[in-house]
Amino acid sequence: MEIFQHVLVYITLFAALAYLVKKFVLPKSLFNTKKSNSKSCGQDDCGCH
Amino acid sequence: MSKQINVALIGNPNTGKTSVFNQLTGLNQKVGNYPGITVEKKEGVCKLPRGVKAHVLDLPGTYSLNTTSLDESVAVELLLNKNDKDHPDVALVITDVENLKRNLLLFTQIKDLLIPTILVINMADRMSRKGISIDIPLLEEKLQSKVALVSTRKRTGIDRLKELIAEYKNLSKKPNIDISVIAPDYFEKIKNTFPKEESYKLWLVITQDVNFMPVEKKLIQDASAFSTKSKSELKRLQQKETILRYQFINDILKQAYKVDINAAKGFRANLDKILTHKIFGYLIFLLILLTIFQAIYEWSVYPMDMIDTFFASATEWVKDTLPAGAFTDLIAEGILSGIGGIVIFIPQIAFLFLFISLLEESGYMSRVVFLMDRVMRPFGLSGKSIVPLISGTACAIPAVMATRTIENWKERLITILVTPFTTCSARLPVYLIIIALVIPEGTFLGLSYKALTLMLLYLIGFGAAIVSAVILNKILKIKSRSFFVVEMPSYKLPLLKNVVYTVLEKTKSFVFGAGKIILAISIILWFLGSNGFSDDFKNAEEIITQRVTENGFSANSETYIENKLLEYTQGINTTDSPSANNPSGTAIQDSLSLKTTELRGRALNQEIASYKLEHSYMGYMGKGIEPIVRPLGYDWKIGIAVLTSFAAREVFVGTLATIYSVGNDEEETIKYRMAAEVNPITKKPLFNLASGISLLLFYAFAMQCVSTLAVVKRETNSWKWPLGQLVFMSLFAYIVALIAYQLLK
Repeated sequence: MEIFQHVLVYITLFAALAYLVKKFVLPKSLFNTKKSNSKSCGQDDCGCH
Repeated sequence: MSKQINVALIGNPNTGKTSVFNQLTGLNQKVGNYPGITVEKKEGVCKLPRGVKAHVLDLPGTYSLNTTSLDESVAVELLLNKNDKDHPDVALVITDVENLKRNLLLFTQIKDLLIPTILVINMADRMSRKGISIDIPLLEEKLQSKVALVSTRKRTGIDRLKELIAEYKNLSKKPNIDISVIAPDYFEKIKNTFPKEESYKLWLVITQDVNFMPVEKKLIQDASAFSTKSKSELKRLQQKETILRYQFINDILKQAYKVDINAAKGFRANLDKILTHKIFGYLIFLLILLTIFQAIYEWSVYPMDMIDTFFASATEWVKDTLPAGAFTDLIAEGILSGIGGIVIFIPQIAFLFLFISLLEESGYMSRVVFLMDRVMRPFGLSGKSIVPLISGTACAIPAVMATRTIENWKERLITILVTPFTTCSARLPVYLIIIALVIPEGTFLGLSYKALTLMLLYLIGFGAAIVSAVILNKILKIKSRSFFVVEMPSYKLPLLKNVVYTVLEKTKSFVFGAGKIILAISIILWFLGSNGFSDDFKNAEEIITQRVTENGFSANSETYIENKLLEYTQGINTTDSPSANNPSGTAIQDSLSLKTTELRGRALNQEIASYKLEHSYMGYMGKGIEPIVRPLGYDWKIGIAVLTSFAAREVFVGTLATIYSVGNDEEETIKYRMAAEVNPITKKPLFNLASGISLLLFYAFAMQCVSTLAVVKRETNSWKWPLGQLVFMSLFAYIVALIAYQLLK
């Protein structure tokens, strides 16, 4: 039980550290998985929409 | 599948744009930042007739497309860039029925970008009171657009507006004005160089600080196909453009907009005379500030106490219910206290934004800017900076968030950077205990030295903020234009819905934005203070139990037990009720024996906690920084307290209580212990006048608050500013504390 509690502590600590690293150290582009909602059909500004 | 269209809300400040946005989107809205900058991005979803859905974007308020701030550039770039995912299918230009002429300048500019545009005339409920009549069909015909007459206060006209948005495809895309008439040859050359682009778009890129794909400013400036014009020539052409637009607007309004002057004016002019008066204006503002201050400082104490009690009970419950162990301790002392440390700020944030929202909604904030601008501007601050600076004396977190009302980025940044210097309430426990320890008794002009010291600390904080603002104003090379033009909007009764939205949104933004960072750091700080690698830490219980068994308690613990026992005995003796109710001699002995056992158990736990903290990672860090803090007159114990109080300044007292093996609530005992502490090098009391003043000055200037850092990071959208602030304030605090100690020792 004691070991299990320690494991949970380290998981939480790791999660807290990972959150801070993700938020402030790693570039945001690494986590940008959202698909672009852009309705554009390219870079030539054809105005088709 | 329903179709979603993009709708952009744009308009002059104070036209009720946010109210229209709230009416359209209801609670389906979220607030964030535009990528990479701190301009607020407010977006929501609105259901339109025939199953059409609209993604509504509330753009920053602007008087025209001639940009003067980052906020306005964001609005213009979005309107220019068809490739932007938020580029509007239809733009709603929100106008104020009383200022239609000025508001229409922006309307004609947006119309000339060939974006389907609807003119929304807000505050229609004031028309009869102000003697205004508008010929809507004529206005629609002349502007080649649709007009919606709306009153967000009376909730009228919104359904028709939704109908018009749903039918946006029927809107004319013709421009109001042919911009090329101001310089036909010049515009022909530009058009020949970029045949695919509209002339007005190109004109904006040439004259403003904006870019858009695929035409960027650099590209235009490099274009050799047409001769570029000098700045003064461009300015002259811009003036011609504005005159042309106002001629167009005047011609329309002459026919479509009538005002019965006899029905207007009166109340507003009289109120303005008082609220912007050279003496009464400042007195009224001072009274309002005092009320805000009272709310943040005093009224919020009640909900804050309730939150505190709730988290204390929750901590107890977790400790009693869950199986004992490291993770239970983490939940109780790390996570719950971390969440408690975030939630506890909610009442202060809510009160501050309740008042700010009321002041803005009522139209009074513009009068504040007018009043305070002349006072604050010499220091590089805005008239609106006074609200964050005063609020900072309660707490820097809501104060930093309140800087969002300052439009000019440089003034806003300076206010954010200097606000943490003002004396917040978290400094108070530290100040009070140190002042009580080191400042001698006595009076000066009827005021005690202790009270004078406390007042001086408040003044020092405010002075440091002002001096830093002057320096930052000189050294920060941020290009931002600032104007003395202040619009005085009409006085309005604040809309409850808007006030509630603002309070909710700001609270949410703190809890879910900065709150996550604070929680993560709290967990790490708990870990560092509750874990250690050495055998001393791991075997703390055995070591201390054995030590106590062999040598008895430390002098400190013995004094603690004696004092507590004395208090308890006096408590029994003062119960001088009839003899029948008095306990017998044996009962008293039993009761004393029980109390002694309880106190000895508590003292043992406190000694173990103190020993553990000394040998934890945090303890080693405290000892590690001892050479750095020794020149300030501190020992490793104060070093640990300084380190842990980085989570929040008030933690300083709690940490010292743990180190000195006394309960957190035993303020008198902590004071006693601190007074008895001896500096091992000088052999003098550790907390003397020199080290006490040094410590007071350190806390007056140091950025000892992770929550403020997190909020500054969030408000500036960069680590550059909060880290710079941390380094500068810490170094400055260190140097001042060092000088003070070395001079006074």
